[in-house]
This record gives sequence, C-alpha cells and structure tokens, in this order.
Amino acid sequence: MENSSQESHLRSDNSVTYESPYTVYAMAVSSTPSPTNLSHQSIALGSFLEDYSNRVDIISFDPDTVSVKTHPTLSFDHPYPPTKLMFQPNRKSSSSSSSSDILASSGDYLRLWEVRESSIEPLSVLNNSKTSEFCAPLTSFDWNDVEPKRIGTSSIDTTCTIWDIEKGVVETQLIAHDKEVYDIAWGEARVFASVSADGSVRIFDLRDKEHSTIIYESPQPDTPLLRLAWNKQDLKYMATIQMDSNKVVILDIRSPTMPVAELERHQASVNAITWSPQSSKHICSAGDDTQALIWELPTVAGPNGIDPLCVYSAGAEINQLQWSAAQPDWIAIAFSNKMQFLKV
Amino acid sequence: MANAVKNQVCGVPENLRKQLAVAVRSIQWSYAIFWSLSATQQGELQWGDGYYNGDIKTRKTVQAFELKADKIGLQRSEQLRELYESLLEGDTDQTKRPSAALSPEDLSDTEWYYLVCMSFGFDTGQGLPGRALASGETIWLCNAQHADSKVFSRSLLAKVGTVVCFPYHGGIIELGVTELVPEDPNLLQHIKASLLDFSKPVCSDKSSSVPHNADDDKDPICAEINHGIVDLLDLDNLYSPTKKIQFDHEEFDEFCESINEDFNIVSPDECSNGGQNHQLDDSFMLEDANGVASHVQSWHFMDDDFGIREKAAISSPKLESAGHSRFKELHEGNHMTLSSLDLEVDDDLHYKRTVSAILRSSNWSIECPGFHTCGYKSSFIRWKKEGMANFHRPRVQQNIFKKILFAVPLMHGSNSLRYVKENGRKDCLRKPENDENAIGCALPEKFQILGSMVPSTSEVDKESILKDTIKYLKELEARIEELESCKNSIEFEERPRRNCLDAVEQTSDNYENRRTVDNVKKSWINKRKACDIDESRHKTGSDLKRSTPKDGFAPDVRVSIKELEVMIEIRCHSRELLLLDIMEAINNLHLDAHTVQSRTLDGLVTLTLKSKFRGAAIAPAGMIKQALQRAATK
Repeated sequence: MENSSQESHLRSDNSVTYESPYTVYAMAVSSTPSPTNLSHQSIALGSFLEDYSNRVDIISFDPDTVSVKTHPTLSFDHPYPPTKLMFQPNRKSSSSSSSSDILASSGDYLRLWEVRESSIEPLSVLNNSKTSEFCAPLTSFDWNDVEPKRIGTSSIDTTCTIWDIEKGVVETQLIAHDKEVYDIAWGEARVFASVSADGSVRIFDLRDKEHSTIIYESPQPDTPLLRLAWNKQDLKYMATIQMDSNKVVILDIRSPTMPVAELERHQASVNAITWSPQSSKHICSAGDDTQALIWELPTVAGPNGIDPLCVYSAGAEINQLQWSAAQPDWIAIAFSNKMQFLKV
Repeated sequence: MANAVKNQVCGVPENLRKQLAVAVRSIQWSYAIFWSLSATQQGELQWGDGYYNGDIKTRKTVQAFELKADKIGLQRSEQLRELYESLLEGDTDQTKRPSAALSPEDLSDTEWYYLVCMSFGFDTGQGLPGRALASGETIWLCNAQHADSKVFSRSLLAKVGTVVCFPYHGGIIELGVTELVPEDPNLLQHIKASLLDFSKPVCSDKSSSVPHNADDDKDPICAEINHGIVDLLDLDNLYSPTKKIQFDHEEFDEFCESINEDFNIVSPDECSNGGQNHQLDDSFMLEDANGVASHVQSWHFMDDDFGIREKAAISSPKLESAGHSRFKELHEGNHMTLSSLDLEVDDDLHYKRTVSAILRSSNWSIECPGFHTCGYKSSFIRWKKEGMANFHRPRVQQNIFKKILFAVPLMHGSNSLRYVKENGRKDCLRKPENDENAIGCALPEKFQILGSMVPSTSEVDKESILKDTIKYLKELEARIEELESCKNSIEFEERPRRNCLDAVEQTSDNYENRRTVDNVKKSWINKRKACDIDESRHKTGSDLKRSTPKDGFAPDVRVSIKELEVMIEIRCHSRELLLLDIMEAINNLHLDAHTVQSRTLDGLVTLTLKSKFRGAAIAPAGMIKQALQRAATK
C-alpha cells in the first residue's frame, strides 16, 4: 500500500515496522476486520508524551502484503497519554452497523470511541465521580469478551469499577486492594482479577462482592505487581509481572500463593505479557532487554527452569505487546516510537 | 466377560481378538490393534481390542504346562490389557494384584509400545489411524520410528518398523511389526482375507456358543490368575507392596529432563516447532496439567531401602528368570536391554511408574494443536541458552511503563485534590469483606493516611483532616523550638532531632505551598518521618500543650542535678498507679532510682527520689521536670 513520506516502512516477509511521530505506548489490535478493507486489521496506537496533548492514531495492517497503512483522518486527541487502548472484543453481530468498531481508552476517565471508515466519533465518557472536580485516574481496564457490555477499570484510588457501557452506568465499584490497582483482567463473565501496588493478585466474583481471594502475593511484601494476563484458553492460568523484575510468574488459580512457574530468562525487567490467543500453553513476554520471548509451558519443568521457545530482538526496550485473536500468527510490539508486526 | 461386554459397548465385533490373532500370526507380525469409533465422541478412534504377537520379555504364568502358541498369544494380550487397566486405576499396591499379573518391568519394548497404544485416541484425520479413517483407505507406513510425528504420532514411542492401517467394520485395524517391510499389497489382501474367513465361522458360532467360547478363552486365563500359586516371590518383592510408591523429586525432574532431551527432535528449520518437538511430551501432556504437578509435589523422597532394592530389582528380572528354569525355557528372545532405551536403568522404572501415574490421572489426548508453524519464516528465532551475554541493563527499568502507571495518573490529578466537602460518606478504609460495595468512595488514599496519622482527628472529611493537620503541625513546631533550646545539653538526642527538625521544617514549607499533588505527597511523607521520630523518642510527651492538668493543681516537681546524681521531689495529688507512672517516667529518662521516700497526707503525696543517670546520657532538669509533671497528672 502507499507509504506516506513521513513514515519509513521496513518490509520483509515476516515483519513490518511502522514509525510513528511520537513514542508509542498504548496499543490495541482490533478483533474485527478494518472497516476500510475487510482483509485489513485496525490497530490503535496511543502516544506517550509527557504533557497534556496526546494523540491516538488508527492504522491498518494487511497480513497478506505485510504492510501498514495510515489513515490521517482516523485520529483523535487524548488528554495525557492513554494508559490503555482496547477494541471491543469478539464483535460479531452488533446492533450498530458493521462498518464501525468501538475503541475504549483509559486515562482520566474511560472513554468510548466509534471508529468509522473515515472518522472517529466519541461515543461516551464514563465518569463515576460525584463532583466534576474529582476523578480517579485509571491505570488499566479490561473488556469482558463473554459479556461485551461489561468493562472493568482499575484505578489508583484502590478501586475497581465495573461499567455497563450500554447503559453508561456503573454496575459496581469495589475497593479491590490496599493500594493502587495497576491492572485488571476478566476471566469469565462475572469473575475478574486484579493486581496492585500492595503486591497481591486477587480474584473477585461479582456474585459475591464481599469476598476476594488472594491467589498470589509478591515474595517481597509490598512490591507492586504491575501487569496481569489471564489465559483465555485455559482459565486456570494467569501470568503476572513484578516491578523491576525479570521474571514472569505463572499462577494456577487452584493453588494459591504458589506459582506454577517462574519464567526467568529476560535479562532486564519485563514490561508486557500476553497469552497466545489460540494455544493454551504459549505465552509471550517482552522487556527492557529489547527481547520478546515466546514460551511454551511444559507440563513438567526441567530442573533449570523453563527455556523460551524463540526470541526476537528489537532495537530498543519493548514497552508493549499485543497478540490478537484476530491475527494469531502475528505479534505486535511497540518500542520507542515504532510499532512492529512480527510473524510468529 | 468384562471384555466381551466392553466389546459390545465399543462396537467391536465379537471375537475380534481371535480374528486379529489369526491375521497377525499368519503374517507373523508383532501386533494387531483394532481402533473403534468412540461411542462418546464423534469421529474419534479409541482402543477397541488388540492382539500382541511380538517379543515377550518375561513370561508370567501360573501353570506348569506350556500352552499352545495361539493361546499364549491370547493370554499375553490379555495380560497386557490388564496391566494397562491396573496402571490406569493407579493400583500401585501390588498385593491386590494377582501374582501372575504383569508388571511394567516385565515387558519388552514392543510390548510396552503396545500397552501405551491402549491409551491413545485419534480424531478423524489425526495420526495414522485417523487418516485411514478419514480417507477410508489403507495406509502403509514403512520406517515408522523415523517417521514425522505428524504422520505417525507415536513415532517417538514406536519400536516398530512398519505400521499398516486399514478400515474395517467401522473402525481401523492397525498392524505393526518391528522389522521394516516394504509395502506389499498381497500381504494386505492376505490379511483381509483371513479376517473375512475367520469372521464367518465366528458368526455361526456366535449364535450358539459365544458365551461358551468366551468362557473357554477366558477361563483358563482367569483360572491361572486366580490361583495363588506362583513362584514369583522374588518378583513380587520388587514392588515392596507395603511401602507406598514414593518419588524423589529430584530424580523425577532429572529423568524428565532426560526424557525430554531424548525425545526432542531438533527441527531443521528455525520456526517455532514446539509442537512437533515435544511430541512425546504432547502425548504425556495432560489436560489437567495440575495432575503431574500435584503428583510431583505429593511424591516424597523414596526411602533408601526401597531405592536399593529397586535398583537391584531392575537388574534382577533377568537373573530371576534365569534362575527359574521353568521360566527360562519360556523366556523368549528379544533381549533388548534396558540401555537401548536410552534411559538410565533406574529411570526406566521411574518412567514406567510415572507413566502409570499419568495414565491414572487422565487419558492421553490427541496431540494438542501445538504451535503453528507456517510455511514461511517466522520473525522469531530459536532461543539459545547463550542468549544475550552481558546485556547492559538500562539504568531506569521499566521506564515508560512505570511512568504510565505512576506518573500519568497523577498528571490528571492536579484537579482532584482541592477542598471539596463531601458529606455523608462512608469510611472508605474498610474492605469489601466488612462492608458492602462502597460506591462513591471518594476520599483518596492519601487523605486516609493523613487522617490516621494525625492523632486528634477522627474526621473523614478532607477539610477537617487538613485543618487538624495544620493544628498538629503547629504544635509540633512549637515543640521543636522548645527542644531546640535544650539542644546543647543533650548528646544522644542530637542526631535524630536534627532529622526531625529538618523534616518538620520541610513539612512546614511544603505545607504552605499546597499547589501540586507532588508537594503534598512529599509533605505527607516527611510528616510521617517527623511523627515517627517523635513517637519513638518521646513516649511520655508529645503534645505538651494538651496535657493540662485536670484538677487545676499542678504537681510540684523539684529537680536538682549534681553530676550524675538527681534528686527529685514531687508533690501532687494521690491517685492510683501514681508511683508506677512516675517510676516509668524516670526509667524513660534513663534514670535509675535508688532511693524512694513517699508520704501521703490528706490525699497529697510527697515523693522524694534519689536517682542516678544510667549512662552518659543526661537529660536536662527541665526535661525531667516536665516528664514528671506529666506523669503525675496523667
């Protein structure tokens, strides 16, 4: 496809690079084909600029020709960097027209955007504060793929809020942890887990809001756990990463406190983890050592720990990783101001 | 009996085993298996029945006479099936098992392969039987053990050279032999013909005498098994039935690794071929991964005696069988030594035990989809152990990541911490365990901390928390000034006090400047330090201004210090535990009272104390006076 003069596209058979004008952090891959072209995939990229005006751009990726295309009209402003972007999952039959996609972004509030063919329209701003001056900024959110009207957000005010986005109201708000909550992940329609600065992974069930189960606590007390990924293919397993740690901790929710595995092959801290959208045994992690590793979890670990299956070295610290179910053969990574699609 | 019932359930034609026996024996191959369509799962093939005609390592029978060749074969097949079933049930207590029953170490490699086949299942199109079912045609695979595991999923396991599958009666018949036999359509014809022939007489027999036949076949075997007479005592000891089978965690891991390595094919292309490589692992892979993990965890250290005996046991079967002459003659060829399995001798037994445990906990599922390897190159390269040597870690790790989580939310927060009076809010400190969903909990955490730190406040209101904080800080400032005046005479308190002063000063500065969140945060942190220092040092006095005497009569305290000797006189109202409080105060001032005189008159207590400083630390008179005044008026 056409390359704009600004971006340089590195093409090969197995990867494509998109260079953005600014550092990229938040990234999302759409679960449905792009509204512009059915064989393309939309990707939303959120900028990371340490001031008020940030942008989110949509580009589309063509796996057949292994190329990306920018859409200058598909872009919007965002106050401060978006902490997470996510397209609506599993958008098969929708009430609205199929030529649009819904993107959610988190920052000060949860915002929904409708991504159409040539424009992006804001749909709603989900704000739970009683007064206009108070807000609890969100660190992350997760869109429930079983129950697509449900989004769970995590905030620095130690709470997790569950939204019903169709009605635009809060379903419930729970004080999840003692400290800031950094990530949240849905397991089933009514079960989610969250990680926090207090170093614990807790599972919550919306049917029993009074109780939560701690399934893991970081070995050094109060060491924040920064990210959580729930294996959608095998809901027994979760992965989490600790602050300043090069280990990916794999947890089995049936045996709390004791991790099933600790994947320790990164040479610097891990920044992102994502389970394979198709195989229950594969997980990918990326870190400050500029490497993205794909691991296969064996049933029995050798005495020296688990080695990754394969590795990719990027040019800089990898900050973001996405492995979309819509494109299971491709992994998207973001480092410095570049985004790359890698063939798995 | 049971088998016949099973046959009917699984859709296996009756007396199939005999048919298989005939077919296999006629061409002198090693085994025949009938894969039947599963009743429960659509299109899936499962073990139906089988006949083993291959090499046998250890014969275990009860009777003294030798059976006819075909009966031996049937018996052996039956025994193998029973062994499989007992492994599946996890029956590790050998006393329960009939003494003529087989145990894993009695099996030759081909037998073991045959046994392991019993646990396999195939989806349509998967594996050799699956594909034969899908295509409806015969498949002849030569050189099976070197076949691609996609083609022949048991290739890593196989000790057979040639495998043939063809559809039969709704299922698949599989025949195998250890030698390499090139494809021979005549042979196939022969097999099919023999099957067909056999089935006819069977049909006619069926109507009249099947039960009888079944009994006939079964009875001798049953009878054999039920007879307790067996001269296999030594072999029995191998299992040490009274002891539980226990595992050494380490050994297990070690052997697992060796298994992994052994069964690892390094694939030529660089793709992530995990799925192919770990074929055996796949087949061992449990649906329920926890199974093995929990097994490993629950297996404890095997105790030494057992270990030793077990090692002896592995080498002994040959000896034992050699020792028993009657077995020797039955002991057929195939001296495939254990070492040829490429596993340690010890590990062999471990391996079999492990397999039994695995079988126990799940069915071996069909190979999992594994990792997609595409026709073209992946961006990822195979991971090597050397990896990145000497990678220079960035100085600030997870830089952008941390900023996104820590700094960015606060960027939004400049609006969020103004004074807003929010009434009627629940106490947000309580967790969901104690409270229902605390909707609208808007007091940010920092205010909660502040509220808990300021001793006088119990408000949950932002404004009042801050008001109380101001008040408290002013009090502390006054206190600090006072202490500063005593500074010179105090040696031991200097250093911590400086910190305290600094901290408090900083706090005051920042507190004036309430503009940004960061500053406020800092002030809170520093304030905390001040608080801590205060509390840790001065147990007796924190808020002097507050401690106004309640009854209007200030206790009269006179203190005189002469070198290390301190003479104290106190006159105050008598009350309960007064003396205790005063002694405590004195103790806290590092004084040791060696003489105490007290007089009580009309509710007035006069105390005279003579004490000595404990160490070099000397408290000033003023301080002692204050401390005692406070203690007296408590």
